[in-house]
Amino acid sequence: MGSADILIGIPSFNNADTIGHVVRAAQAGVTKYFPDAKAILVNSDGGSTDGTQEIVARTAIDDFNPLLIKRKQEMFSKIVTPYHGIPGKGSAFRTMFDIARRLGVKACAVVDSDLRSITPEWIDLLIRPVLELDFDFVTPHYLRHKYDGTITNSIIYPITRALYGRHIRQPIGGDFGFSGRLAEFYLSKDVWGTDVARFGIDIWMTTTAVANDFRISEAFLGAKIHAAKDPGADLSAMLTQVVSSVFMLMEEYSEQWKLVKETRPVPLFGFQFSVGLEPVNVNVERMIHMFGAGLRDLGHLWEKILAPETFRAVQGLAESEPYRFHDDTWVRVIYDYALAWHGKVMSQEHILGTLTPLYLGKVASLVIELESSNADEVERRLSELCYAYEKLKPYLAERWS
Amino acid sequence: MQSIVDTLILEPIRGFLQELLNFLPRLLSSLVLVLCGLVAAWLLKTLCIWVIRSLTADSLAEKVGLGPALRKLGVKDPLSRLTGRIVYWLVLISFLIIALNALAVPTVEDLLSRFFLYLPNVIVAVLVLTLGYLVGNFLGRASLITLVNADVSIASFLGRFVRITVYIIATTMALELLGIGKDTVLVAFAIVFGGIVLALSIAFGIGGQKAAGDYIERKLREEREKDEITHI
Repeated sequence: MGSADILIGIPSFNNADTIGHVVRAAQAGVTKYFPDAKAILVNSDGGSTDGTQEIVARTAIDDFNPLLIKRKQEMFSKIVTPYHGIPGKGSAFRTMFDIARRLGVKACAVVDSDLRSITPEWIDLLIRPVLELDFDFVTPHYLRHKYDGTITNSIIYPITRALYGRHIRQPIGGDFGFSGRLAEFYLSKDVWGTDVARFGIDIWMTTTAVANDFRISEAFLGAKIHAAKDPGADLSAMLTQVVSSVFMLMEEYSEQWKLVKETRPVPLFGFQFSVGLEPVNVNVERMIHMFGAGLRDLGHLWEKILAPETFRAVQGLAESEPYRFHDDTWVRVIYDYALAWHGKVMSQEHILGTLTPLYLGKVASLVIELESSNADEVERRLSELCYAYEKLKPYLAERWS
Repeated sequence: MQSIVDTLILEPIRGFLQELLNFLPRLLSSLVLVLCGLVAAWLLKTLCIWVIRSLTADSLAEKVGLGPALRKLGVKDPLSRLTGRIVYWLVLISFLIIALNALAVPTVEDLLSRFFLYLPNVIVAVLVLTLGYLVGNFLGRASLITLVNADVSIASFLGRFVRITVYIIATTMALELLGIGKDTVLVAFAIVFGGIVLALSIAFGIGGQKAAGDYIERKLREEREKDEITHI
């Protein structure tokens, strides 16, 4: 195969239960929306032992009639390949970028292999803005339960928006569309031996695109439902990985984000609708208990990381009645952590390890505040949090150097 | 009478003066060597600081975490000045040793040879203690953070326990290297360490029944009321 117009990438590792559905959705999407394009599906696998690769290789839609698709895509092929390098999603993406470059692909879409809610429309929404409207990067816009994606809501979305000036609602969504030009740009970056190859590829892709002035849009994809994972699975490691990626990128693009003085939305494509979402159980009492334990046992470390006034404000939270972790205090906490990480006041891993109880304290506060809020009210509340990040940005910028 | 005075008083004085005359050139050369040492040490220190600063190694040391680690050990100087000081003293001590050797006094020579035989042990012991201090702090803090995040109620105690254990191991190793109470230290360490572990086991077994019960109960309750938040 010498060339292709569209590449659909699916990174995987032991996703035999779900990847068949994702492959079928991708094939249907390409067939329905891009029948004249030459398309390739790339499965970049991390050494699955549950038959994931075999499932990808043999999954195909033979009968398109039930999907009301009349014209069959004749130029759809598949590459199932293991990736090389450091184990992780980033290395899988690198393989896809490389294939995209070799084939001279115009537009790519990458989707997670554990998705249950993906439909053929996702492919259209992620690819078309690139192919027809000349956008370089399309980020997902999902409908999520108000208690879902709390790291995104309380840290990643607001800080990305404040630093780089774009309202990208899901910077670490995982399902993206991008141009061949941007894939080539990603490939030119020398990050594949770093933690980007292991984790943090999502925030790296988003930040690299936004910091280098590539054209960005969002695609409304509806609800995101993926295979059940243990939600409590090593929260601390997850938080450390994501936040360290953000801080690492802050160092790389410090000259760019310091110049950004205002923020603006990016175009959002797709028909917006609302759906009923499954209720989510939250144990607020446990979160507040964890925050209290953190204050008791990690207080002496927080004192080294946080500015004195921020530390005093955090100490005051323990006695606040009703319990409320104010936005200003939270933003100062995150900015102080960024500064401590930048200044290496102690091992960077230890710095971020101490963030978990503070994060749980903020999540508990948000859960209490949003208990009776609907989706619109939640978004308004998150906008207030974003404003707090933006308002306090000079505090960060002044102390950064 | 004259011969008695000669034998008992003048002869020893002449002998002493003769030895003093023989010794004076050696003393003079020793003093010259010390002076040369002072000048050479100062020159090399200045050169060393200049080279390190030219290579911007001070900021590099801050970036890789060496600066903060040294400050924790009470060393406030930047890397360039610290290295300069070390070079200064190494050069000066080397010249002092040469100067002492130049005196050709048998007792001093014997002391020097003993000192040189013992010196490597001292250096390694200091290194072991320094490393033990740094590793103890690091592991103690890492344990504390991990245990707090895992909601272990005695995280603070366990963190301290890890840190102090590493300190004790390092001190025992250092003392063994210095040959101070070699067997006594090892036996004492084994008894104390074993005793601590036994005491903790008994304390947890008897005194910790309620804590263990509470922990299990809490875990079971959390399992029932599990968070379903997906954080990412």
